[in-house]
Amino acid sequence: MKKVLVFLVVILTVLSFAKTKIQFWHAMGGWRIEVIQNMVNEFMKLNPDIEVEVQYVGSYEEILAKTVSAVQAGTPPHVVQLNEISTQKMVDSGVIVPVQDLVDKDPSFDVGLFLPQVLNYYKVGGKLYSMPWNSSTPLLYYNKNLFKEVGLDPNNPPRTYSELIEACRKLVKKDEKGNVIRTGITWCLYSWFFEEYMALQNQPLVDNNNGRTAKATKVVFNNQAGLNFMNLWNTLRKEGLMINTKRADWTAARQLFISQTVGMLISSTSDVALLMTESAKQGFELGTAFLPVPDGTPRGGVIIGGGSLWIIKQKNQAEVDAAWKLVKYLAEPGPQIVWHQATGYFPIRVDAIQKLQAEGYYKENPHHLTAILQLLTSVQNYNTNGAIIGAFPEVRDAIETAVEKMISGTLTPKQALDEAEKNANKAIKEYF
Amino acid sequence: MRRKLLPYLLLMPTYVIIVLFIYLPAYDSFYSSFFKVSVFGNRRIFVGIQNYLSLFTDKDYLASVRFTLIYTLSTVVISIFLSFFIALLLDQKVPGSRIYRTLVFAPYAVSHAVAGALWGFLLNPVVGHVNYLTRIFFGIQTQWLTTRPFAAYSLIFASIWKTLPFNIIFYLAALQGISSEVIEASIIDGTNSWTRVWKIIFPLVSPITFYLVIMSIISSTFQSFAIIDVMTKGGPGGYTTNMIYKLFMDGFRFQKTGLAAAENVILFFVMIIITVFYFVYGQKRVHYQ
Repeated sequence: MKKVLVFLVVILTVLSFAKTKIQFWHAMGGWRIEVIQNMVNEFMKLNPDIEVEVQYVGSYEEILAKTVSAVQAGTPPHVVQLNEISTQKMVDSGVIVPVQDLVDKDPSFDVGLFLPQVLNYYKVGGKLYSMPWNSSTPLLYYNKNLFKEVGLDPNNPPRTYSELIEACRKLVKKDEKGNVIRTGITWCLYSWFFEEYMALQNQPLVDNNNGRTAKATKVVFNNQAGLNFMNLWNTLRKEGLMINTKRADWTAARQLFISQTVGMLISSTSDVALLMTESAKQGFELGTAFLPVPDGTPRGGVIIGGGSLWIIKQKNQAEVDAAWKLVKYLAEPGPQIVWHQATGYFPIRVDAIQKLQAEGYYKENPHHLTAILQLLTSVQNYNTNGAIIGAFPEVRDAIETAVEKMISGTLTPKQALDEAEKNANKAIKEYF
Repeated sequence: MRRKLLPYLLLMPTYVIIVLFIYLPAYDSFYSSFFKVSVFGNRRIFVGIQNYLSLFTDKDYLASVRFTLIYTLSTVVISIFLSFFIALLLDQKVPGSRIYRTLVFAPYAVSHAVAGALWGFLLNPVVGHVNYLTRIFFGIQTQWLTTRPFAAYSLIFASIWKTLPFNIIFYLAALQGISSEVIEASIIDGTNSWTRVWKIIFPLVSPITFYLVIMSIISSTFQSFAIIDVMTKGGPGGYTTNMIYKLFMDGFRFQKTGLAAAENVILFFVMIIITVFYFVYGQKRVHYQ
């Protein structure tokens, strides 16, 4: 009996010193893998009793698919980074620990310091379900050297659609055979830009206040606002002022801009750091500006895109606690500033921005400032808080498919909107 | 008794693996195809054959069936004839044929995803080599991967490029297996080379042709996922989405497990038809020496 007791004591001591192991899955490829690993290493230094396995799992879609299988197999990861459009799906899933519950229990954590623009996106029914982390908005990038070359004012980027089209026309350059070797603009074929352009015109994407006062039942983008953007896209394409990429091919769009094949690019603010380095390498001066709006339309605002951190339910409470510690750490000002400077994603906290401002960071990095100002000057309402839809991936697919048909000349902008509306509504109805 | 038991015992490990990883999942997809399943699989409603009905009334699904047929048919027919022709050339005893053989087989060593990425680069409308050449020589630029019908052409071309070496290896082996007596006899009888190829050589390698047709159908129907995902993502506007890519989208992008299971069952039956055809037709009509 004594022996057994001694044995038990030994086992318990060993266990109490044992590290809590948690898994953190993220979707940030490239050089960002190392940035995240370093941030987590810092965390582990501060919390020697927690061991975090960081894994770059692939795209947001792949993370979601793999999380679904892992949960079903009974071995869920602890912290997963998912994109903003998974929000409703995860809220409905019943497999997560809402961050709000952990915030309420933890007096050391003050969510009041977060940017309201960011919090408003991730709060559903007043409750915060996931920890906002990498937040971005679209931004207009332009090549100041090319602007000068064709006689455009490099300090006065286009603000309206007609100014945008005019600038594109000037940027077109042809070789002696009449082939276009340089043109105006590109953005990757991604429904996110369509959604942003609805918000920029202060319009919702779906009913019930963008799905925020009750679950969305149908899309409401088939109107003049939606048509404005589709018409712009179609005009740019027809006149050869824009190069279209494959679906969601961010890299291709960036390459076109970096290789100076196009003079302007609409892409995520998360590309700021990368484009600053690349433009310097290519020897051109980078400019950034707010997104142009349709002529005569008052500016609404931009919606937060990007991702947030979700804590998945675990059998062992110690693991949830460890996961919360990690999530909390990654949202602190220090790591947020590191992350912001390395990528261009916003610091999600007011105190982090203030600290950088005081250090004079934004004077030296005006592009990071443009990105933040565009967000801070956005009107705050349901339209710019962004839509939440359970079937968001299908809605995006419906919009992208319709756009592809429009730019291949099969559908007119109006027909494309009709088709997107029909398929999106079907998906919303079928969501389960 | 012991004699009878032993072989089964030895086969046990295989049976266990097959049951766990093939039969059970197969059963599960049959079962799931009658349900509407929530994202994380924790809620499900029995819907009977509703998943099948909605598939067969879904314009996009029917379009994907149509593209599967076009894609499979053109890939298989072109790659079979082309590989037979190339194998005939490689079978000639000319200097350097070994080097040619090695070069021709190279694509086989490349995975589908890498092949897709490779052609994605080559066909890039702005910085791709193909457009560079067409611009210099013909003064034209084509959006290979994002417009109709070029997206389908590009995909079919890349798939043929990928499957060709496999077919060539088999044809080459078959050609080298034909006894020289037969060929010599035909030469003495005064056949021209055209007749010799189509009346003597092609029938003699018919078992291989048949095998390759079946294998190519299977690979272009079921293994084309990677190349499509990398090159066109099923676009533009669902134009190059085939059945397997549609299944992937519904199952893993939109998490509609029930619907994807139904699509899986449909593919299962397609597979059965091909297999039955293989066994019945294969034994009757193909000439074995």
